[in-house]
Amino acid sequence: MSRSAFTTGLVTALAFAVLILVFFALLGKPPFVMVSNLVIYAVGDTYSISQTFAKTTPILLCALAAAVPGRLGLISVGAEGQLYAGAIAGTGAVLLAPALPAVLLVPFMLASAALGGAAYGCVPGLLRARLQINETITTLVLNYVSVLLVNALVFGPWKDPESQGWPATAFFPQEAILPSLPGTRIHLGLLLAIVFAIGLHAFFTRGPSSQKIRILAGNRKVGEMFGLNFGFWVVAMMSLGGAIAGIAGIAEVSAIQGRLQPNISLGYGLTGFLVAWLSRHQPLVIVPVAFLVGGLVAASDALQLFAKVPASSAVILQGLLFATALAVPGLMKQMRLGFGR
Amino acid sequence: MSGPVVEFKAATKRFGATVAVDTATLDIRSGEVLAVLGENGAGKSTLMKMLYGIHPPSEGHILIDGKPSAVQGPADAMRNGIGMVFQHFSQFPALSVRDNLLLAWPKTPFWTGRRNAGIAPALATLAELAPHIDPDVRVADLSVGEQQLVELSKVLNISARIVIFDEPTSVLTPAEAHNLHGFIRRLADDGMAVILITHKLADVTACADRIAVMRRGAIVDVSASGEKPISSIVSLMMGKEIKRTLTAPKPIKQRVEQLFLNNVCAKAPGMELRNISLRIAKGEVLGIAGVAGNGQSLLADVIAGLHPITSGDVVLEGQSIARRDVRQTLATPLGYIPEQPRENAVVEDMTLLRNLNLRALAAGSRVDDEALDLLSRFNVNPPEPGRLAGSLSGGNLQKLVSARELGTPRSGVLACYPTMGLDLAAIEMVYQELFAQAEAGAAVIWISEDLDDLMLAAHRIAILREGEVVAVKDNDGTLSRDEIGALMTGLRIDEVAA
Repeated sequence: MSRSAFTTGLVTALAFAVLILVFFALLGKPPFVMVSNLVIYAVGDTYSISQTFAKTTPILLCALAAAVPGRLGLISVGAEGQLYAGAIAGTGAVLLAPALPAVLLVPFMLASAALGGAAYGCVPGLLRARLQINETITTLVLNYVSVLLVNALVFGPWKDPESQGWPATAFFPQEAILPSLPGTRIHLGLLLAIVFAIGLHAFFTRGPSSQKIRILAGNRKVGEMFGLNFGFWVVAMMSLGGAIAGIAGIAEVSAIQGRLQPNISLGYGLTGFLVAWLSRHQPLVIVPVAFLVGGLVAASDALQLFAKVPASSAVILQGLLFATALAVPGLMKQMRLGFGR
Repeated sequence: MSGPVVEFKAATKRFGATVAVDTATLDIRSGEVLAVLGENGAGKSTLMKMLYGIHPPSEGHILIDGKPSAVQGPADAMRNGIGMVFQHFSQFPALSVRDNLLLAWPKTPFWTGRRNAGIAPALATLAELAPHIDPDVRVADLSVGEQQLVELSKVLNISARIVIFDEPTSVLTPAEAHNLHGFIRRLADDGMAVILITHKLADVTACADRIAVMRRGAIVDVSASGEKPISSIVSLMMGKEIKRTLTAPKPIKQRVEQLFLNNVCAKAPGMELRNISLRIAKGEVLGIAGVAGNGQSLLADVIAGLHPITSGDVVLEGQSIARRDVRQTLATPLGYIPEQPRENAVVEDMTLLRNLNLRALAAGSRVDDEALDLLSRFNVNPPEPGRLAGSLSGGNLQKLVSARELGTPRSGVLACYPTMGLDLAAIEMVYQELFAQAEAGAAVIWISEDLDDLMLAAHRIAILREGEVVAVKDNDGTLSRDEIGALMTGLRIDEVAA
């Protein structure tokens, strides 16, 4: 890391620290105690670490899902919708064949979820490739569709008759629960996410297609001159991103909730989008950033329970983090240029 | 005449360790045209960008009307009556010409309906400068030459008293350039200070009052026009004597046709190609002449397999190389130099080495390492394979693209304005490489707006007008400019001469 990048990181962290101190002070809480609580609730004991990783997993997967099309210069905000689409497809697989043994059911469920997410990402990809329709808008509006589709399913045909009005499917059989570390909520999804991150890093930096994607992202016309098909890569990258978000969806349903119900995601899709952009779509940078944000999300949840801060604090803290992380480096660059004059 | 409007006082601009402009001292007066002459990368554009507020001087200062310049940026410069026409235009391609003009005009009324008389002055300059441009056409559908005229109208609309032209004639046809010279002259006669950044001696002799020659960042000479002979100006600019020579490719001994356009039809917004048939033999250089905006760019995109054809075929050595469907792409086997390399031919955030090897990279294979040879052979400056292409000047990007497309032997070459924005030495080098391809057996299509160059070197000249090839002439020394000019414009010879 260069010296200026280090300074930028340090100043960003300091600015964020000052902002959260001010925030807690405004809430009328002792700021330094609250900040140290925040750290303790994020990584202080096994339970906290388990919670942090449980939040990190969907954020990491959604960030990778946004980074994949981002590498081609596309701005997809559709991870949230793809997550729900994956949850639907994966749940469908479980409802279809609940009696399969775990060795078959888990892969079947994951594959279905990936396909569901991919299909959901493929649609805006095709619209962009064939009809030049802006993928940011289509992914944004399609988010609402799959979220509401989950509602329609769990209030309707997939509703568990034994749940007495609670809108949810039946609980998954034990064979359809992703394996996790005993006594924690750290599940197979996290391992998959890290494997995906490493795989994507290799694909985008060393793979035989890495340069094709860079050419198309840099200058589509030049890519086409040398026979590259922009439309193909748009559909491919949108589908791949969708598949990864789909895994995030089924992982939440299977490992965390145990059944499909509304609100399986706490805005992971958009959080992941911001993580991806903060990390400049670099998979190996996304991993630690997602962990940091996951920790913040988990800790502010705990803070809300134990320190009686308002429920919206978690979102406000996230907002402060992203705002500082985006604003401070920009401001510092401006100031450096200014001094250079 | 009063004192100078602008004075550069030992102004220096550094980018890191590079000194782009070195202690420049120069004054600019109202009512005269000052030509700033120099090769690519001599610092002409940077010098004027200091005045325009894009690059504030690192040292020294600039006086406007005797007071230190407080210009902080282009918007500020415009308020101070300084306008600049750039090599790279700042226009919204998706908007109409009218909207582009109105957006840039400070006096645009809130209501821009067609019947509002308040918008008329914004369109009047364009109507005078280029009556053939329809203000309702989208800028994206204009040719480069037409876009420049729109850009110029924008600058004239801000009632500038200092107008800077950055290589204005590099994309214009001779007739358009002649028009522009007259216009520049008139601006100066109306009392404006006009600065003409150029490397074309024709611009200088046509309309300059004074000539400032720059070489390697320094102003090496300022003299009144006509005070020094052109040859000594050229040697000041180059640092050595260079004669403008153009060695024509060898005549073809036996005609073996290699590249065929068979009844090619294609459609793009605002342009349609109709039944274009051409046959280019091994070793032949076919020039395509035409006034800007008569289908050259669409024809090039069709031959290079970028734009789909609606009917007909393009065949190279028995293989079809035309694109038939937007959904399929094909890697063109032609060496293709498109117009505007920055937009159409390079990936700016990739290195020079990678840009030279885009074909291999796009095919999924590794890059070979002959970059240094190619970079020095084509005189790309700086010859650093690891540098990002985006940091190169326009002229050097053009050389980079020539290196990629002409560096290895090809069976067919398509070159569109391959010398645009290049200095004399580089023009000669690119022509040599282009004609060497023909002599090594390539079929070469050469689209140019420089009729003199075409008549000096092409074996045959096809004339393109309104999307059709109206004539193909053997360039056997009997062709006359007037005859080709008549074919280009569709007027009769006596009308052209009149």
